[in-house]
Amino acid sequence: MTAVARGPARPGTEEFEVPLWRALAVFRIAALSYAAVRVAQNFRHYDHPVLSWVVIGVMAGWTALTIYGYRQPRWRRWPLLIADLAVTAACLLVSPAILGPNGLQLGIANIPVAWIASPVLAWAISGGRRRGVIAAIIMGICDLISFSSYNGASLDSPVLLILAGLAVGHVARLSVEAQERLQRATELDAANRERERLARGIHDSVLQVLALVQRRGTELGGEAAELGRLAGEQQAALRTLVGSGPAVPPDGDVDLRTVLGRYASGTVSLATPAHPVAVPATVADELTLAVGAALANVAQHCATGTRAWVLVEKEDSSVLVTIRDDGPGIPPGRLDEAAAAGRLGVAQSIKGRIRDLGGSVAYASTPGQGTEVELRVPA
Amino acid sequence: MTRVMVVDDHPMWREGVARELAEEGYEVVATVGEGGQAVRVAAAARPDVVVLDLQLPDLSGVEVIHGLLAAYPTTRILVLSASGEQQDVLDAVKAGATGYLLKSAARSEFLDAVRRTADGDTVFTPGLAGLVLGEYRRLAAAPAPADEPPRLTDRETEVLRLVAKGLSYKQIAERLVVSHRTVQNHVQNTLHKLQLHNRVELVRYAIEQGLDDRE
Repeated sequence: MTAVARGPARPGTEEFEVPLWRALAVFRIAALSYAAVRVAQNFRHYDHPVLSWVVIGVMAGWTALTIYGYRQPRWRRWPLLIADLAVTAACLLVSPAILGPNGLQLGIANIPVAWIASPVLAWAISGGRRRGVIAAIIMGICDLISFSSYNGASLDSPVLLILAGLAVGHVARLSVEAQERLQRATELDAANRERERLARGIHDSVLQVLALVQRRGTELGGEAAELGRLAGEQQAALRTLVGSGPAVPPDGDVDLRTVLGRYASGTVSLATPAHPVAVPATVADELTLAVGAALANVAQHCATGTRAWVLVEKEDSSVLVTIRDDGPGIPPGRLDEAAAAGRLGVAQSIKGRIRDLGGSVAYASTPGQGTEVELRVPA
Repeated sequence: MTRVMVVDDHPMWREGVARELAEEGYEVVATVGEGGQAVRVAAAARPDVVVLDLQLPDLSGVEVIHGLLAAYPTTRILVLSASGEQQDVLDAVKAGATGYLLKSAARSEFLDAVRRTADGDTVFTPGLAGLVLGEYRRLAAAPAPADEPPRLTDRETEVLRLVAKGLSYKQIAERLVVSHRTVQNHVQNTLHKLQLHNRVELVRYAIEQGLDDRE
């Protein structure tokens, strides 16, 4: 592939121009048909009726040739573009001589009529606005010359040509830019994925070492055990950071797995689905605070080192978050007592929050198996 | 004596695990650092249990598991992961691993997991139970499933939820008033159904690809 850039089209963008070239081919055929109909209606009044059909023939041949030529990316270059302009201009410039004064009095401007716009459009597609306007000006001048030989100049066609060149050139440039932007975004995405993959590898080796320190430290005991415990905490933090993956739920929603991830630690384990649990940001905030309150409650009322588990489930029309600890459990009636005594810590901050979301809270305590708090909110 | 192969790219970890296993009376038949190598030596080493790290430099966890099971079908795979990357873990058990443990697990937990894996039990962490529950729900909710998606019975769902909430099999058995073995069977079934579904999907995919190629 050649490195020479043709107008705005850089390697890889030709694909995107294809629909525009196809549209131009349709335009050429339509304009040619219209020109042929005009000639068929009026050729008896022309000075040289036979020659007018010869011009239509040349136009038909050139239409076929250019449709074929512009289909090949390597042919969409100056030689074909210039030839296109020259052949079209020639068909336009010979028109006055063929039509003669009679023909012009019938109100017929020239033989090709709208067909003269095709090279302007071709230039615009291949090179954007500026090229389109240059071709339009050249073709406009030819139009003025052919016209002025009889009844003075009209600026209508040149102005239309320039506008067409501008508009199509603009669209061509836009589509090429859109393509380039898409390509850049794709490249960026690939680079990000690669970076993510590398980061994952690095995180994994850091986690390996932390796990090793934790394990050996615990076995050695004493100060080493303390180091091991610290390594364990860092492990849990890093794991939540990388574990949930990059999936992002749709706009406005928050992945509950990510926001609850902050609570995972050496003593709190988090179980979630592998795919995002998307909830509105407000629901996520309230749930996070409620889970935080439940876990704080565990820390406050149970012995140090009491473990807790948080389970996140997405059901058909609700999200269920369960917090269980392996502490001694809440004696029956204890919560009601607290509420009656005005000490509403747990009841208010958890039940209130969840009820505001239209959800429900259930407490369960099994002797010897700790306490469970089940938060269910509609989602 | 139970034959164990250790696959991990981290040399210190690999040696540490091998030493612990040897001290505990296991026969460590191979320690390798790469997935491809693991697959190559599996047939000759004939391990009863493979202790497999999911993050290997050459192959993905799923590729290694498929390779190991193809080379030596009776082997049981216990996955150890440092990062606990959720999708990776789920893919690994769907591919045929029967146990999963985080590397942060204590020595006793690890040795217990190896013993249970060798016995043919499934070893679930609460985190894995959450992933499996989520996967069943995802399959059930998937738009226009190609065939009947696997479903959990109410009892299986109940057991999995209790595992995800951190209860031991013993505690679950007490709570549901069933035997330890029954709990174990329920957990095993949840995994088997998922693995079977995964194999069917793989075959279907292969057939579809094959038909496409012929066109």
